[in-house]
Amino acid sequence: MSNSTLAAHTATFDTGSAASLPSGKAGVWWFLASEIMVFGGLIGTYILFRVAHGGWAEQASHVSWRLGATNTLVLVTSSLTMILALNASRTGRHQRAAHFLLLTVLLGLTFLGIKSIEYTREIREGFVPSSGMFWSFYYIMTGLHGLHITGGIIFNAILYFGATRGTLWSGGHGNRIEFAGLYWHFVDVVWIFLFPLLYLS
Amino acid sequence: MSSTTEHSDFDYVLIWVWLVALLGAGTLAFLLPIGKGAALAVIFGIAMVKASLVVRDYMHLKSERLLIYVIAALPLILALGLALVLIPDIVYHR
Repeated sequence: MSNSTLAAHTATFDTGSAASLPSGKAGVWWFLASEIMVFGGLIGTYILFRVAHGGWAEQASHVSWRLGATNTLVLVTSSLTMILALNASRTGRHQRAAHFLLLTVLLGLTFLGIKSIEYTREIREGFVPSSGMFWSFYYIMTGLHGLHITGGIIFNAILYFGATRGTLWSGGHGNRIEFAGLYWHFVDVVWIFLFPLLYLS
Repeated sequence: MSSTTEHSDFDYVLIWVWLVALLGAGTLAFLLPIGKGAALAVIFGIAMVKASLVVRDYMHLKSERLLIYVIAALPLILALGLALVLIPDIVYHR
């Protein structure tokens, strides 16, 4: 899509400079900024409480680092498929973009599936949110992250169906893959920090 | 939408290979019998590198305008500030 066509379909955020920023992209980054505050606050508080209170290592030893590492691999791979979907859409390879969107959705569901297995195992062993401060943080942080993954899966699925029907590529909606990708990569970055915090330390 | 891309598909796959290798290295640091402090430094250092790869190359932050950097950096600074002001209450106040 040419820049003139893009300008016709996308409102721009005038930064006062010669090069303006699509308002959709600025909006996504503002949303991510609010998410950084949420997860940043949680992670920072977790670190402080962990430093202040000993004995968390024993509680943390009951999480499965193997499942955590597997989930990290799944999420990192989903980031790859998401960016490949964007690359394909930008070069006019719409069917390829749709396939990669579907892969991203499936990998996201795989992540949630593995997380469900973890939760089931931990709850059966008696580790629930009230079992200790580590477990409170663990369930809050991974649960909130899981909700974000769910939201990303739903949006990516909507994009996939739009791609297969051809409606995604009309009306200047192709930017949606980029915006969804920014959100999905952010959720991946959050997990990149949650994994070592909760599973490796 | 621009018809040009910042990276080729191969470049993105290469970054993924790096991310997977770093994941392996971080997990190895956890398993090896090295000092706790050294292990934590390696593990979180690797996490920072992985995050920067995703942010820089997948989110294309390296080619974004200054405004985006400001939007992304401001909450990081605020979150760090929040943690710092909580230190006296959480870490030292028992």
